[in-house]
Amino acid sequence: MTESALAFHRRIDTALADARLRQALAMTTGRLAGGRAAAFDALPDPVACREEARHARAAAVARLDFYLDQFARAAAARGCTIHWAETAADAREIISGIARERGIRLAVKSKSMATEEVGLNEALEHAGVRVVETDLGEFVVQLGGDRPSHIITPIIHRSRQDVAALFQEQLGATPAEVEDIPAMTALARRVLRAEFLQAGMGISGVNLAVAETGSLCIVTNEGNGRLTTTLPRVHVALLGLERLVPTAADLAAVLAVLARSATGQASSVYTNVITGPRRRSGASGDPPCGEPDGPDELHVVILDNGRSRTLGTPLAEILYCVRCGACLNACPVYRHIGGHAYGGVYPGPVGSVVMPGLHGLEDWSELAQASSLCGACRDVCPVKIDLPHLLLAVRREAAERRLSPLWVRALMPLYAAVATRPRVYRWAGRAAARLAHAVQRGGWISRLPGPLGAWTASRDFPAPSARSFVEEHRERKAASA
Amino acid sequence: MTTPRERILASIRGGLARACLPAGADYPTARRPASSPPAPTPDLVERFVAALTALSGHAHRATGASGVADVIAGIARAHRALSFISWDDHEIGCPGLLEALSSRGLARVTYDVGGDPGPRVREAEALAGVVLGVTGAFAALADTGGLVLVSGPGRGRLVSLLPPVHVAVVDERRLRPSLAALLAEEAGLLDAGSNVVIIAGPSRTADIEMTLTLGMHGPTDVHVILTT
Repeated sequence: MTESALAFHRRIDTALADARLRQALAMTTGRLAGGRAAAFDALPDPVACREEARHARAAAVARLDFYLDQFARAAAARGCTIHWAETAADAREIISGIARERGIRLAVKSKSMATEEVGLNEALEHAGVRVVETDLGEFVVQLGGDRPSHIITPIIHRSRQDVAALFQEQLGATPAEVEDIPAMTALARRVLRAEFLQAGMGISGVNLAVAETGSLCIVTNEGNGRLTTTLPRVHVALLGLERLVPTAADLAAVLAVLARSATGQASSVYTNVITGPRRRSGASGDPPCGEPDGPDELHVVILDNGRSRTLGTPLAEILYCVRCGACLNACPVYRHIGGHAYGGVYPGPVGSVVMPGLHGLEDWSELAQASSLCGACRDVCPVKIDLPHLLLAVRREAAERRLSPLWVRALMPLYAAVATRPRVYRWAGRAAARLAHAVQRGGWISRLPGPLGAWTASRDFPAPSARSFVEEHRERKAASA
Repeated sequence: MTTPRERILASIRGGLARACLPAGADYPTARRPASSPPAPTPDLVERFVAALTALSGHAHRATGASGVADVIAGIARAHRALSFISWDDHEIGCPGLLEALSSRGLARVTYDVGGDPGPRVREAEALAGVVLGVTGAFAALADTGGLVLVSGPGRGRLVSLLPPVHVAVVDERRLRPSLAALLAEEAGLLDAGSNVVIIAGPSRTADIEMTLTLGMHGPTDVHVILTT
């Protein structure tokens, strides 16, 4: 096994041993998945809605060069400054430079996975800028020197007692200020509101960008996305270059499924569409007639960091993803091990494709093995990405490049030899069924041999029927004849 | 010497030339709104009120500036608000409303948050204590209970964001079935101001143990006064 695979297995063991984490995961993912199902059931035609959203994203990705250029020109025409970042380092340097040139000491951030991906906070702190996360979950993550464990709900691994202790330690909160969740929320509102009012720069991600109008769409429930993009004098938006839709109608099509998939809401509380910085002059050209608030400068940093390379691989379809997190909540593996075990910024089924896509197979192909290919992720994806197919593509490529475990590489040709010879296959099936039946106790096998023992280390294996499928089928046919 | 822009676009083109996108994915045309807007449905008010109420928002009905001002004065009393920030009178779409509020003892605070960092921060901090914000709305959406607000001169963004109580005055004739239906009528909507925001109820979070809490960063109370 490679070093990265061993580390992955160690993280999984740690997660599985954490009883409280498993309980929190079951509760959170269960409720999010249930909310999503109910939200889609309420639609007159959920299938058509997902199809329209897929169409919107597929149209953008199929002509991504055209739409990205169209977006950049339209946004610039509305007064945005456009920056192009080929790598994570470029994005860090560009944004640090914007802050440095303007002498900015304090930046507020709304939730953005792309800024996590490029490691922006560390770079800004290094450049002398204090960075404050303003999404409640991300704020808690930052106070605790922690990492988010879910794309949408970053602190499902933290209890209310954890948060209370952190607020007392880091913010000097009184016992009354942390006595329950509403009190803690009110405290965070007070602390963060003061930061919002003082900050010289607001940093956001972008949920979707509209090519035709050069607009940025940022959705939040808390309202930090609006404050971040309204109060500070400078707004910097980090846009993954694939997050486009061609038109406003396409945006509406994706929005119709985004919040339903993420949290089970028909709509997020704030769907914030931004087209250029504050417009200073009114129709008469007289400055006092302009908009009374909003940022004076809007910088859009377009981030590649492996996305255009992913486009040229069998993993291209993952670029349709709108980061709703529904596949995490549906995935039986994520539901047991949680986000930290995956080791990267993007966890779950989507992360198991995105991480090797962006950062190469060498360190990340192992994630795709952590899937039973059950297809639950594909069933809930709002843009109908065929995730099991993409997970298989990662595995295939890893096998071709000899990155998969030795025993898999050794046994697969043997399995292929058996499976392609019907007589041998039938004989082997019968033999395996008899053997399994002999060692099972009450329908379960509690220990499997060799590398298969990894399965039974933390759970039992269901015993197969004592007879093979062919035997069973013949018998039934004989009985009905 | 190529620029990062040229290199990124070239890399995308190279990727697209090799891309193994799923069959049928080459959608050559973007979606356009349906040419004829869907016929108005009679129960828009009921559906909007139900959706807003489900989000913990509050719906009211009122007629004329005086009727609307009475409702707002009642909300102000309940929250012990003596002043408010607001859109300009003609932008709210209820002529005479600001005067009617003034005559009920509510003082309007005006602002312009912009320019140099120092004065900008002081201007914003001066607004921090205001409890009530009064806006109009470009439209309201019956399917989600959403209010569509377009920023512009006399239509500040902070009015619906900073104070803990937001009151929006909306003409019933501005109700639409959905965002898609609204966009079908108003093709240029997204670019109508630097900020178009759809507000669906009070600010909320469920980050700690999935427990729903209202008023995280934005208003805790959202009141919509429907006018006829």
